[in-house]
Amino acid sequence: MSKKEIYAVKGLSVPETPASAQEPKPWKQTQMVGKGIPRVDAYERVSGTAVYPSDVLLPDMIYGAVLRCPHPHAQVKKVDVEAASKMPGVRAVITGDTPEARVEWTYSKEARSSLFDPHCRFEGEPVAAVAAETPYQAEDALRAIRVEYDVLPFVVDERDALKENAPSVHGAGNVLKTEKYERGQVDRGFREADVVLEENYRTECQLHTPMELHGCVAKWDGDRLTLWESTQGVYAVQAEVAEVLKLPLSKVRVVGHYMGGGFGSKLKAGKYTVIAALLAKKSARPVKLFLTREETYLAVGNRPPNNMRLKAGVKKDGTLTALDFSCTGTGGAYPSGGTSLVDWLVRDLYKCPNVRTECTDIAIHTGPARPFRAPGHPQGAWVLEQMMDALAEAIKMDPVELRLKNIPNFSQGKEGNPPYSSTGLKQCLEEGAKAFQWKVARSKALAPGETGRIKRGVGMASCLWVVGGGWPPSTVILKLFPDGSLNLNMGASDIGTGTKTVMALVAAEELGIPLGKIEIEHADTGTTQYATPSGGSKTVPTEAPTVRAAAISVKQQLLEMASKELKLDAASLVFQEGSIAPAKDPSKSVKITDLSELKKRGVVVGIGYRGPNPENKAIIPFAAQFCEVEVNTKTGEVKILRFVSTNDSGRVMDRLTYDSQVIGGITMGIGLAMTEYRVLDRDQTGRMLNRNWHDYKLPTALDVPLEMTSLPVDREDSQANSVGAKGLGEPVTIPTAPAIANAVYNATGIRITETPISPERLCRLLAEKRKEG
Amino acid sequence: MLPNFSYVRPKSLDEAVRHLDSPENRIHAGGTDLLGCLRERVFGVAKIVSLSGIQELKGITETAEGGLRIGALATLREIAESPLIRSKYPVLAQGAAEAASPQLRNQGTLGGNLCQKPRCWYYRGDFHCLRKGGDLCYAMVGENAFHCILGGDACYIVHPSDTAPALVALGATVRITGAGGPRTVPVEEFFVPPTQDLTRETVLEHNEILTEILLPPPPQGLRSSYRKVRARRSWDFALAGVALALQFRGEEVAGGRVVLSGAAPIPWRSVEVEEVILGKRLDAETISAAAEAVVKNAEPLAQNDYKLPLFRAIVEEELSAIAKV
Ligand SMILES: Cc1cc2nc3c(=O)[nH]c(=O)nc-3n(C[C@H](O)[C@H](O)[C@H](O)COP(=O)(O)OP(=O)(O)OC[C@H]3O[C@@H](n4cnc5c(N)ncnc54)[C@H](O)[C@@H]3O)c2cc1C
Ligand code: SF4
Repeated sequence: MSKKEIYAVKGLSVPETPASAQEPKPWKQTQMVGKGIPRVDAYERVSGTAVYPSDVLLPDMIYGAVLRCPHPHAQVKKVDVEAASKMPGVRAVITGDTPEARVEWTYSKEARSSLFDPHCRFEGEPVAAVAAETPYQAEDALRAIRVEYDVLPFVVDERDALKENAPSVHGAGNVLKTEKYERGQVDRGFREADVVLEENYRTECQLHTPMELHGCVAKWDGDRLTLWESTQGVYAVQAEVAEVLKLPLSKVRVVGHYMGGGFGSKLKAGKYTVIAALLAKKSARPVKLFLTREETYLAVGNRPPNNMRLKAGVKKDGTLTALDFSCTGTGGAYPSGGTSLVDWLVRDLYKCPNVRTECTDIAIHTGPARPFRAPGHPQGAWVLEQMMDALAEAIKMDPVELRLKNIPNFSQGKEGNPPYSSTGLKQCLEEGAKAFQWKVARSKALAPGETGRIKRGVGMASCLWVVGGGWPPSTVILKLFPDGSLNLNMGASDIGTGTKTVMALVAAEELGIPLGKIEIEHADTGTTQYATPSGGSKTVPTEAPTVRAAAISVKQQLLEMASKELKLDAASLVFQEGSIAPAKDPSKSVKITDLSELKKRGVVVGIGYRGPNPENKAIIPFAAQFCEVEVNTKTGEVKILRFVSTNDSGRVMDRLTYDSQVIGGITMGIGLAMTEYRVLDRDQTGRMLNRNWHDYKLPTALDVPLEMTSLPVDREDSQANSVGAKGLGEPVTIPTAPAIANAVYNATGIRITETPISPERLCRLLAEKRKEG
Repeated sequence: MLPNFSYVRPKSLDEAVRHLDSPENRIHAGGTDLLGCLRERVFGVAKIVSLSGIQELKGITETAEGGLRIGALATLREIAESPLIRSKYPVLAQGAAEAASPQLRNQGTLGGNLCQKPRCWYYRGDFHCLRKGGDLCYAMVGENAFHCILGGDACYIVHPSDTAPALVALGATVRITGAGGPRTVPVEEFFVPPTQDLTRETVLEHNEILTEILLPPPPQGLRSSYRKVRARRSWDFALAGVALALQFRGEEVAGGRVVLSGAAPIPWRSVEVEEVILGKRLDAETISAAAEAVVKNAEPLAQNDYKLPLFRAIVEEELSAIAKV
């Protein structure tokens, strides 16, 4: 390929360049953004050449393993590592008695603990760790460690934890905190209602199951520590490890180029990270420490179980008059948001003047929760969206209609009631209903005279996600080389969502550089810029405007160079397909790759910073999902036939990664609705019983419908940021479970108020219903 | 992580039997069940004796009498896809097809499927329960939603196999070879209920190998089918299942067997259902009586009473379907 072809393909014109200090205008028509372009790292991912942290192999590397407390509640009396230390291949053993390992660990701000806390408050707390030449030797050494425990009374179910005489997790009562919210006059609201309904609900604890396990490789060079960690945020890991080990930030380098999923469970470092670093220090060898699946199920997070009650009032015309919600939940042994955001949809999704919520977070002897894709929201949606369905039926209104009647255009739940920068909830509902053929499907499902054991049903639910706008800070650096190729340098992780692809598209869009000429450096605290972890559906709305700003800076500098070369004012110059020319006389163009100053300097560096979000605006993504199910009304088997998901997440940045989020979100929601729940041996040992992939049932390819339609409401939100996109990764999983529950109700007349909708549960309920007649 | 062991791959049955001179030496067929048990340290291991080098354990062939001989190493996929089995013994092909997942069916064998260990999560977990020589059945008062409603006694496992009910229904036998020479046992008598011995699942001694499965020629008027309900549509064991192998004379059930999976510690022959339908036409009345009969003697535990309506439902569903064939 000749050099000339590299920069700017034919037909790739670039948007106008704002003068410095001027805000860029929204893109008018895009050439790259919004299309369905295969991922920039698809080859590496599919061929296996991508090196994930768990693939890292260093010379002299050895293997770490962690011994964990097998009891939900115990006091470690003695740890005897003598035999283990002498075993073949063993290079380091650490316990709570090892001086360097006596470091503080904070599961959460409210409750301090230590790395090897002798007071083990959940099954899976680390008690000791070893490093050995092979994983097998490490495992053998663990088995040779003798631990004496005082086994203590436990409580592993939050529904038992408030009973009198329940064992205490932290030495007092087990209530961690109660949060209350109230607006309007709830009791008056209920008096104004024509229909008031009240119901109890529960969602079970869902376990984090990213493909790649949690862990890292740790290596010391003198006093400098490098960690290859499977993480959603390298800088978050750096900060935590530096604090715990009392190291300067500059001495901790965290690399996380590829990572196999996190869903919220890898927003922070784990005890395993610090343990790996300590083992590496002690053995003077690089140490790889990845947990087993069983360990991750016990120790690194889950979606808290929640017990919820909702009382709702509605007028005959569909006006909501009052919502009264309460819930309990548990984030396990340390405060970890056991009820956080569970009430958010009740507060904010529908127009309602009178709302009261009360959430009580409870401590129990189980592994701490970690944020789980849209924390709190799927639980709250399970309640609110089933209630909306029931209210609609009670006032004989179509459920879509009822929701359409109650769409707010400002946030009722947020301080100061900011207006939404954009709201596409109406479009989501209308366009979704149309694409799904809701009316037809519903009338068919409701058609009388169906006698067979197989019944069909349709259901829907909608949602919003509490934050969709991303936030500062972020810094992105673009390096344009004299041959017209580009380096994109950012600290953010691509957690599998396609961040790299989207950012390359933004750079390509703004600079007219073909994707093949863009290389990305990212997620490395040693070489890339500060970024907060990829979570909260923030990565696209945070990083994409930053990339755009950096690209504009590159263009501005190129215009300056051309202005010198052409001896014309920069403001009179424009880009045209790889060249810069006077706007008035395109024939006098100079090719960018011919700019002498660029050749001399060797690079143009454009730096983009993420500016603040607009003041007093709520940037919120919305969604609605529709589904159809088939129920065997004798056995309780449910087959999900199809899903339509409509999402308003602002501009569609890339159609393929967008649709992947939708499909993945629905799949995860099906897991919560149908098959996934933690089982603890509640009354005997308190231990987890389903800690493997057979007993903890993730949905398989046969459990999700072939027909999953993603239908974006593709409207750029120009108030939100310079690319017009809002977050997507979390709203996609919020309405799924209640949409299924509503469809099952539609088919059977049975309200399933507790997850999962398993044949066990539904068969029992169907039998009870038949008995009642 | 797996414990340490040595590994041999003998070429003949005799050699294999010689290697089985200690109870800690374990037979490896497809390994899909064995490796899980070893990883979970359900039992110890010294040596692994792979059967994969023994040619005579492979293949599916017709016998002179018109029955079928299936080598113990035939994979579940081979069984599920065999045209012979699909046409003559659909219940077996369906049972194999309903088991596990495509990958596991490619690797798992019929012999291994019959000899697989229970799936009780206490047994598979780090719990020294009765069946492992301890003194407590944790499932009795613990988490027992997936345990048995029939035939439980001190231990409440369900038998995990989807092929065994079909083989019992078809009146199959297994051939066994060991240090003491070969023997033949009806599949129905191959499994050991907890009432007889809590610590073993089959009649096999540690040094015996199941070599082949023999199916009698299909009797006149044989209709057969397998129905399985599970919490997840693949890669999951039966919550409830029923294997039917019924001989019809005209519209009337002249003989045959009804065998349940997911119900009991062994594949459970429902004599109660058989009694109701024998000599009858499968009309609505008979079917509804059969559906009641299937759980007549059931004793559900605290969390598995859903199995009562579930078994009623599938017996009703399957008898209705087979009546229409
Ligand atoms: C996740 C998962 C899901 C599953 N789901 C199902 C399901 O839904 N339905 C179902 O029926 N099964 C299921 N299985 C079990 C699987 O089908 C069986 O494990 C498989 O058929 C066993 O065959 P194998 O050759 O792999 O047995 P192996 O693992 O090799 O052996 C199993 C046991 O039998 C012994 N053994 C094997 N062959 C012989 C022989 N010829 N003589 C004497 N002893 C022998 C072994 O020593 C071992 O103890 C599942 C397994 C897994 C891991
Ligand atoms: S059911 Fe059987 S295998 Fe399970 S805990 Fe009880 S004794 Fe053990």
